[in-house]
Order: sequence, then C-alpha cells, then structure tokens
Amino acid sequence: MASADVTQESVGYEILEGEPPELLGRNLVAAGHLLAGATAFFFVAFVFAYFYLRSLNSAGMWKPKGVDSSVGWGTAIVACYLLSALLVRLGLADHLALRRDQWRLKGLAALLIGIVGLVLQVIGWTQQGFGPADGGFASVYFGWTAFLFLFVLATLLWLEMTLATSLRYRKIPTGAPPPGHAAGDRHRERHDIRDPLSLVRAELVALSFYWTFLAGIAVLTWIVLYLI
Amino acid sequence: MTAVTAPLRPPIWRRLVGFNLLTGIVLGIGGWYVGWFGAHAVVGPSLDYFGDVDYNELSVFMAYIGGVVGFLIGLGFLNYPARRLLGYPPSLREKETGGWARYFGLCTDHKVVGIQYLWGIGLFFFIGGLNAMLIRFELLRPTHQVFSGGTYLTLVGMHGTMMMGMMSSGILGPFANYLVPIMIGARRMAFPRVEALTFWLLMAAGAILTTTIFFGGFPTGWTGYEPLNVQAAAGMDCYILFFALAGISMTLLGLNMIATIVTMRAPGLTWMRLPIFVWGVLSTASLMVLAAPVLIAVLSMSALDRAAQTTFFSASGGGSNYLYENLFWVFGHPEVYILALPGFAIVLELLPVFARKPLWGYRLAVAGLLGVTLLSWMVWQHHLFVSGINGDLRPFYMLSTELISIPTGFTFICGLMTLWRGQIRFTVPMLFCLAWFFNFLLGGLSGVFLSDVPSDVTTHGSFFSMAHFHYTIMGGLVFTFFAAIYYWVPKMTGWQLNETLGKIHFWTMFVFFNSTFAPLFAIGFLNQPRRVNVYAHTLQFLNDWVSVSAFCLGTSMLIFLFNLVWSLAFVKKPALANPWASRSIEFQLPSPVPVHNFDRIPVFSSDPYGYGEGPVPQWVPAGAPAGRD
Amino acid sequence: MASQPTAATPPRDSVNHGLRFVVAWLVLSVIATPLVVIFVGPILPPGNMTTQAHEQIYDNTWLAAVSTPVLCLVVVFLVYAFVYFRAPKGGALVDGPPLREHAGIQVVWIVITSVTVLMLAAFGTYQLLQNGSGGGQGPSPVAVPAGASHNLAVQVIGQQWEWTFRYPSFGGVETHELVLPQHTSVTLHVTSLDVVHSFWAYQLGVKADANPGTDNVAYVQTRGPGTFQIRCAELCGLFHGYMFSTGRVVSATQFQSWAKTQEAIYKTIAKYVPPYAKTYICPAAGTSPTCSPQPTLRGG
Repeated sequence: MASADVTQESVGYEILEGEPPELLGRNLVAAGHLLAGATAFFFVAFVFAYFYLRSLNSAGMWKPKGVDSSVGWGTAIVACYLLSALLVRLGLADHLALRRDQWRLKGLAALLIGIVGLVLQVIGWTQQGFGPADGGFASVYFGWTAFLFLFVLATLLWLEMTLATSLRYRKIPTGAPPPGHAAGDRHRERHDIRDPLSLVRAELVALSFYWTFLAGIAVLTWIVLYLI
Repeated sequence: MTAVTAPLRPPIWRRLVGFNLLTGIVLGIGGWYVGWFGAHAVVGPSLDYFGDVDYNELSVFMAYIGGVVGFLIGLGFLNYPARRLLGYPPSLREKETGGWARYFGLCTDHKVVGIQYLWGIGLFFFIGGLNAMLIRFELLRPTHQVFSGGTYLTLVGMHGTMMMGMMSSGILGPFANYLVPIMIGARRMAFPRVEALTFWLLMAAGAILTTTIFFGGFPTGWTGYEPLNVQAAAGMDCYILFFALAGISMTLLGLNMIATIVTMRAPGLTWMRLPIFVWGVLSTASLMVLAAPVLIAVLSMSALDRAAQTTFFSASGGGSNYLYENLFWVFGHPEVYILALPGFAIVLELLPVFARKPLWGYRLAVAGLLGVTLLSWMVWQHHLFVSGINGDLRPFYMLSTELISIPTGFTFICGLMTLWRGQIRFTVPMLFCLAWFFNFLLGGLSGVFLSDVPSDVTTHGSFFSMAHFHYTIMGGLVFTFFAAIYYWVPKMTGWQLNETLGKIHFWTMFVFFNSTFAPLFAIGFLNQPRRVNVYAHTLQFLNDWVSVSAFCLGTSMLIFLFNLVWSLAFVKKPALANPWASRSIEFQLPSPVPVHNFDRIPVFSSDPYGYGEGPVPQWVPAGAPAGRD
Repeated sequence: MASQPTAATPPRDSVNHGLRFVVAWLVLSVIATPLVVIFVGPILPPGNMTTQAHEQIYDNTWLAAVSTPVLCLVVVFLVYAFVYFRAPKGGALVDGPPLREHAGIQVVWIVITSVTVLMLAAFGTYQLLQNGSGGGQGPSPVAVPAGASHNLAVQVIGQQWEWTFRYPSFGGVETHELVLPQHTSVTLHVTSLDVVHSFWAYQLGVKADANPGTDNVAYVQTRGPGTFQIRCAELCGLFHGYMFSTGRVVSATQFQSWAKTQEAIYKTIAKYVPPYAKTYICPAAGTSPTCSPQPTLRGG
C-alpha cells in the first residue's frame, strides 16, 4: 500500500463494510443518554412549576386545606419503580456474565413489579382525597405523576420488547444469527441486525441506564411531591 | 439467474392496499372518530363547558390523539413495535425499494426521508406563507377590512405557529437527514425508523394545526400565552397538539442526529474534519433534544388546564401566567437558535465552495456555533423585560443577550474572511448566502435595541420586534433554506434547477423581503403593536407599502415554485455529479445518490475545504479489498 | 465531474487590500455615524413627554450610533470583496489562496466585539437603574427614581378589552381616561382582571405587562402637557387591536379640577366597584367580600 496516511492503513475493511457489531450498542447507549437528557428537561419543567407556584402561592391557593398527598402511596409506587430498575440492572449483569436464564427471570420480575407500580399509581390517584382542580399543588401533583406514569409505561414496553426477544431466542446459542431478516440492496444487506442476542445486550445496557435514570426521577418525585 | 421474468403487476387497487399514506389517512380519520366518541362515552357531557356545544376538550384531545395513532398504524409504524413486543426479530430497515411508492409511506432510507421532508415542509411553508398574505391583505386598511377579529387572529396564529413548528425542522429535516449520513460516510442514520417517524409525526401535526379552523381557530398567536389560552375555544387544542407533536418530532430528530454523528462517523473523520454543516446540525440537534421537551411539558400543562381542570396558569387557582411565560421561553429562545443555527452552518458550508477558498477559522466557527448553543439557554427572560417578572434580573439578561452577539460575530468574521481574496462566483446558492450577511446583520443590530432594556420598553411587542425576528428567521433561515435547495436539490433529485429563474427568484425575494420588513421597523417605532388588525390612520401608507411588498414577495415565492416544478417535472435536465466543483464528499457521488450511498465506506484524511490545496483526496484507498461482490 | 481547478498560487498583490478596506471603512464610519446621530437620532421614539421617554431617545440614539460602524463594516467588506475578489466571468475555475486562519485577526475581532458588547450592557444597565426607563418592574421594583415615595400613584387595570385607571389618593376613583399632572413623579401600578395585557403609553415611554394577580410597577416623571397614545401590546384576544385610548398630561390645577369631577361622578357608582387593592384576583373557591366578582374564564 503506497499511501503513507496512518488512518488509511489501519482500516479493516472486513469490519467496516459489515458495520461493526458494537455500533448498535453505541447507538442505543447514545440514545439512552440523550433520552435521559430530554426526560430530565421535561421534568425540570414540573420541578420548576412546583417551586415557582409554591413560592408565589397566588390567591392562597397553593395548598388549600385538605390537599396533601399520601406519603404511603407515594412510597409504595416509587419503591416498585426502584425495585424494577434494580432488577433490570442485576439482569444486565447476569446477561453480561452469560447467565441468560437468570436475566430472563429477573427481567420478568422487573416487568411485573413495574406494572404493579403503575397499578398502584392508578389506585393512588383515586385515594388522594383531592382532585386536579384543587389548587397549585394539586395541579403539579396530577400533571407530574401522570406524565411520570406515561414515561414508566413506555420504559416498561421497551423492557417487554427486550424480554420478548430474549425469550423467543432463548434456545439459540450466542453468536448464531437466526433466519428471517429484511433484505434488499446488496450493499446494505449487512447493515441490518443479524444477531438479535447482540441487540438484547445492547438494548439492555441502554435500557438499564434509562430505567435507572427514570427511577431516579421517581425518587425526586417522591421527595418533592410526597415528602416536602 | 439472469433470466428474470418481469413480475406480474397487480391491478392498481391492489397496490393501494397496504401500509401507505392512503391507509394512514383512512385509519387516521377512523381513529379520530374512535377517540371522539370514546371520550364522549367515557366522560359524557360532564366536562361540557359550552352548554350548547356538543363537545368537550377531552373529546377533542382524544379524537386527535386517536387520529394520530390511526395514521401511524396505517403507515405501518406500529408493525415493528408490535412484532418486537412478541419477540420477533429486530430489523433496522423497511421498504427501501419500490419506486415512487416509497415516498408515500414509511421508508427507512435517509435519502427518501430527506426528500419527503423537503416536500412536506415546503407544503406547510406555503400554507404559512399564504396566511401571511391574508394578514397583509387585512392590514391594507387601518380599520376592519375583510376578516373578523377571530379569523384575523387565527391567521396570525397559524402563520406563526406553522412557520415556527415546521421550519424548526426546515434544514435538519430535508438536508441533514439527506446529507449528514453521506457527509460522515455512513449508509444510514442511527435509528432509521425513528427518522421516518419524525417526518410523519410532523405531517400529522401540520394537518392538525390546519384543522383548527373547524374548531373556531385560536386567538393567542404562536406563543399561546396563558390565561388567554385556557379561555379560548377548542381550536386552541389543535395548537397545543400541533406544537407538542412537532416538539416530539424535534426531540427525536435531534436525538437521531446526535447519535448518528457521534457514533457513525467513518474512519479518519475526526471532529475537526467534520464539515461545518454537520457541526451546525449537531449544535441545533442538541438544542432540539433539550429544549423541545420543555415545550412538550408546558403544553401538557396547558392541555391539563383545558381538559382536566388543573390550574397551572390561573392566578385564582394557585397558578401563574408567569409560569407559562417562563417555561415557554425556556424553550422559545433556544428555539430561535434552532431556527438560526442551521442557517449559519449552511452559509459557512457554501462560502468556501463559491469563494474557492478553505473555510477561514474553522475552529472559531465551531466555537461560534457551540457558544451560541450554550448562551441561548441563558437569555430567555429578555422576552419578559417588561412583564414584571424578576425586575432585578434584567441587567443579567441584558448582558447575556448581548454576549450572544460575540459567538454570532465569529460566524460573521469566518464567513467574511472566507470571501477575502477568494474567487467569488455569484451562483444562485451563493447569492442567497451573501444575502444572509446583510439580512442577519440587520436582524442582529435590531436585536441590540431589543436586548437593551430602556430601548426594549418601546420596541417590545411592537412591529419592531416582529421585523427583527423576520430579519433573523426569514432573512437568516429561509434565505439559507433556499441556498440549500439550489445547492443540493440537483444532487438529491438528479435534475438541475433553472439558473435564470433562480436568479430572478433571488433578486425579487431579496428586494421585496427588505422592502417588506425594513418599513416594519419604522412602523414598530411609531407605536403599532404586533398582531393588531386596527392601527393608526397615519401609518396607513407604510402598512400599504409593506402589504404590497409582501404580495410581491409572495409572487417571488411562486417564481420559485414554478422553477421547482418546471425543472423537476418537465425539463428534467440531468444534473452533473459535481455541478459546483465542490470538494465535499456528497458531490463526489453520482446524482442522485444511490441507495447504498457508497460502494465502499470512505476514509477521510482531511476536511472538505482544501480549496487551493491540491486535488480532491481519494476517499476509498486504492488498496481496499474487493469485498463481497 | 468538473475539471480539477488549477492549484492556487497565492497572488502577489501589488495593493494592500487590508489597509484599503480598513481605510474605506473608517472613512465611511466617521462620516456616517455623526450623520445618524444628527439626523436619525431626533426622530427616534418615543418622545419627550417624560424623563423616561427622553432617556429612551438618548439610549436609542446611542445604539444607532454604535450600530452604524458595524453596519458599515460588513457592507463595505462585502462591496469590497464583490469588486476585487470576483472570479472573472467565463474564465477557468481558479482556487483562491488557501488561507485557513490568522490568529491576529481572530484575537482583534474577539476583543473588539467583546468590549463593544460589554460596554453596551454596562450602558444599558446604567440607564435602566437610573429611573427604571418606564418599564414594568414587577411588585418589588429595583430601579426606583429619586423621590418616588411621594409620587402620585395611579393604577392601570387591563381587562378584555379596555383600560381603566384608579387613583388611590382620590378615594380610589376609577376612570376611563388616564390624566396625569405635569412635572410630577407618577407610579403606575399595572394589573389585569383576566388575561395578560401590556400597557403601552407610547409618548410616556411606558410599557408594562398587565398580569392577573400581579402588581406591575412602572415609574415616570412627566414633563410638559400634551396627549399620548395608549395601546395594548400583548395579544389579549378578539378585540386586542381595539384596545387603545388616549391620555393627557395637564397642568396641576387642571388635574385637580378633573379629579374632583371624576370623584363626583364616581360617588354614585362607588358601591358597585370593589375597594381599591393592588390586585383583583380572589380564590375561586372562597368568596371574599373584598374581591371583585370573578370574571368567568370560560366561554370565549
């Protein structure tokens, strides 16, 4: 090779053309972080609303008499979210250690506990003794928890997808590509996901990060909406 | 193997059945009614504030959400998640082959999405422009002329909202989607299906905003200030849904862009070799990812106030209109730079090509883009100088707002110095870029008046500020949007645009743009507030002048439209691979770019600005292995 | 593909383009800036009816003066480049010299823009803190002009779609016309009953948003007599465009007699009007007798 350029010499075209296998993981991790950033800014709006309306207390309607959230319900809900996120973390460790059967169990448990958290949240709304129209705090409370509910729901759907892929391919040993993929342009054939197990791992890394982050937001919710 | 028999073409009705735009529209309408009657069945008339009107806010929201979901189902967006929920194999690609049909549905080819964006955004850009023409028609007379007050305000609001929401993706949608993977040497975006989703969400949003006219329109302008917002009729819900969906689309678009640029650059493409356009996309995308969620959140609060009786923004219920104003502008000011930054990037990207010189001060230009990105988060309260909020913080916001002209100045010096001692060719894209200097300069200098609190007391909320942001956004973004069209559309479609018509378009647009908006500075200085349909008789001459100029400006747009349709649909003169003798990588590929972009993944050894520094580098080294074919 | 452009050989210019450009810019700026100050300055808004308005003209003139050389810089640069660096028509494609950066120019540019910007911010802050510049400052103003404590207080109330005014020192009389005595310090308390409005008294140099539940304070020191225009500068709904009126600055004696007349008219309706308060928003649930009847928000 005549070229003196170092970058040109060090290219492994075999890897390059087939899209490096870790690219999917890098993409998903990047997306997980960006999604976390977007989520943070979404909830920052509610945190701001909480402290802003609280400090203004306009017309004395921040927290009229009888409006207070129930710490018990809040603790139960947030504990479910946290536990679910923790289980996904542990499941990720299992998957990385090639204990895929244990990851599937933990993933299933995480999904169920997450759903329990959502159900508790729905019941919790009916048990608060105040409605969304009862002043500033009530507005922030219902708006914030409703959207946290939606975010958790979406995350659990993501968890379910990862889990479902794991379950369907539970018998395939690592590395063996399964049949049945989209095909088309011959140049791009190799730019598709060949190995769903590598996807599971990549997705788990991103998902675990994001779910932990969201659980962190749930803890913030607990502190702001229930404790103080 | 070679004897491929032609496949039997199914009858046309068979080809229309399937996951495509038509199905999307049908299911969208179906979903709309499901949501509508579903919400009615659940809540009944108990939330009916209007008494004699048979809808409530909840049913309007649910109807549109049902409509969007049905639309996405019809386009086939839910097939993949549904398959994934059942554990079927994941895939990154869908429907990348298939002629014209792929433009009317979900397609994961980034080049198809780019072209879809170009036409889709173009459509709504023209609807928004038409609104502007009607506004100027009403303002021909100082008193009531044609439209009722409500219709007038709806036109004002639709114009502003349409332009803001759509043109936020005006460069990133068509051009970044198309070009960024090519410029960084990739064959796809990081998340191709998400990429397609951003486009169709935006189209659904645009359709929703257009239907506001069936629900009484909305009276708030694009800012949607509370508590006027909560007071308004159901057309307001369309505004909320439009902006929230556009916000989701923007968040995902930005996320996809950043992930792609960070992870998928080809070997040798270091950060300091990225085309400046990619830097501009990166900084814009970072603003999109972080600012748009704040918009979605604040509109969610509005929606709750309207549909679920919360009191985020009503002072008598423990809320505050300042909450809305703060949160809206926390989004709103980065939004302004979401609009402006791609313009900077396009100017800096194109100048080296037409001045035949390297981009001067590459690192300074990058620093400028990033500096604007960072500072744009710290200036939002300059929209609230006279609102009575945080009077003691005004000096800070005055300072931070004026500081932003320093990184903006980087863009100017880099662009100007690129021209210095160059070999300037006045092609149509170059003319639009050069006009940017003049327009954005006037926009920036008028911005100094608005950032200075004592001056802002007079100029705030007047036609002056309206002229200011039209100079920055129309003069900054739309001019570069056209520069990008004239520069890249031959590459994207493979057909040339007519240059003479392009020059006529440019000169009419430049002249009438200035003739429209420069007098508005004076009108604002002379006590005409924004968004009024009634003004002082003494200002009629100026207003008529502006209106007539605006109609001419509209005609100029028609010249462009004619050029586009004429050149692309009738003349179809094939474009050269590299009509501008550019060193950028996309121009080393055939026109239009093939589906797989590159036969070989390129390897970068320099930035694309090495004019006067020797021949264009070989992107694929001669010794590269033959690969699998 | 277009033919490869000829490799550049940096031309040995016989002329010093840099020097010529700087001289041209300086000459033009030196001529243009005084012209702008002398001819444009006096026609800049908003007027001389109050000290604040006068100061705003001063401010606007300064900003216009600073803007002029900047405008000249870019325009002269562009024109110069168009004239001298234009590629010859029909000639072969030639590359320019590959100049990539120049540390000196960058540093000078950054320093000049930074200094300009900091000076502008300092100037604006100084001007603002002197007397508030007529802008709404919220319930706890920071830029209070001297002697503001014994001001004439006037409340400006925005509602859909008209302005009314109350004078607490005249028994809270509410009028449809804003009348101010000349050579007086006035404190304007701007508030709203429904949505956000913006009180823009053009010739007074006042703009202050009217927010429901907020007392937005602005100061002016009136000068000679005259009339001024009032408009609403924040979109407030259907008849936003019609929300304007005219006010007057009159002599002290005229003001006193006007106020007396208004008080007499007001006496007959006073019992229907809520007592003077900083704001007129009361809790939706409670019905405090001191509150005005809550305008219903729904029904637009």
